[in-house]
Amino acid sequence: MSCLVIIPAYNEEENIVRVVENLKNNYPMYDYVVVNDGSSDDTARICRKKGYELLDLPVNLGLAGAFQTGLKYAYRKGYDYAIQFDADGQHRAEYIGPMLEKIEEGYDIVIGSRFVTEKKPHSMRMIGSRLIAVATRLTTGKKVKDPTSGMRMFNKKMIAEFALNLNYGPEPDTISYLLKQGATIAEVQVQMDERIAGESYLNITKSMMYMMRMLMSILFIQNFRKRREVKER
Amino acid sequence: MTLVFRVILIVMSLLTTYYILKRIRQSKLQIEYAIFWILFAGVLIIFSLFPWLVTLFTRIVGMQLPVNFIFMFFIFVLLVKLFLMTIELSALENKVKDLTQELALEEKDRLDEQKEKIRGEELGDDL
Repeated sequence: MSCLVIIPAYNEEENIVRVVENLKNNYPMYDYVVVNDGSSDDTARICRKKGYELLDLPVNLGLAGAFQTGLKYAYRKGYDYAIQFDADGQHRAEYIGPMLEKIEEGYDIVIGSRFVTEKKPHSMRMIGSRLIAVATRLTTGKKVKDPTSGMRMFNKKMIAEFALNLNYGPEPDTISYLLKQGATIAEVQVQMDERIAGESYLNITKSMMYMMRMLMSILFIQNFRKRREVKER
Repeated sequence: MTLVFRVILIVMSLLTTYYILKRIRQSKLQIEYAIFWILFAGVLIIFSLFPWLVTLFTRIVGMQLPVNFIFMFFIFVLLVKLFLMTIELSALENKVKDLTQELALEEKDRLDEQKEKIRGEELGDDL
């Protein structure tokens, strides 16, 4: 049983050392790989100097492309599970263990969810999360409490499917589509930290565009997709 | 707007949507790129179903015929789309250039290292 922690990093020179050192020192049982997404800062140089496991993309692909690179690596190396782990320190490594336990019960995807036992706050930021949850509920009939959580773990079958297909971004619309297609998804309660350094790239306009894209995708487009199963290696 | 014109717009929109969805089904189009065309088709269908909307906009803009407003709308939206696509194309071309150069430089680095190694071994033999 092997698990790969995939850390997509775009301009995270201030955070990457803290995140990777924590994984290396306190959780040596998990393999990890940093995917540098064509950063314009010193992220790649720092990783190389410190001897971290690094996939260095020469141009910027965006989160979906960077994460898929990590999954392709996991697919080639034959990992059983892979988890998406933020480079900005929002995700806590202590929850990888419980998520692994859950996925070994036979789930395809396990989401590190902030709102399984905790209540979702009524803030502006959570309106988007609520809308996406409602859209997912409408099209799949199933509840996902934290669809926008970026901490997701995939099993071997999903690694292959995500690695080799188009339109498999690590976003709520893919989750909704897979749910509709019969994938099994579980949520595990986790806590997340606020990012310590650097800036989130989401501003108001981008958030609105993102929401529109997600809602259109979940409510309309995903209903017309045909699933292509991929053979595991 | 005449009934025939409205029917033509609706049929055209439905065909566009059908074709776009077919490409997504075949895994040949990214969803990000489909959104624009589906929204575009949606707006045209709304205009065809509720022509009073078009009449209203026509009056606001101060045009004579609703059909002129439709044409202006088409041209404006497509112009903006073309402009954005030019920017995207330029970024894309730049990325392909960077990527190609990176490949060539990496390959040269590798060859240089190999040569160095061979030379090192030859020197070792001479001694």
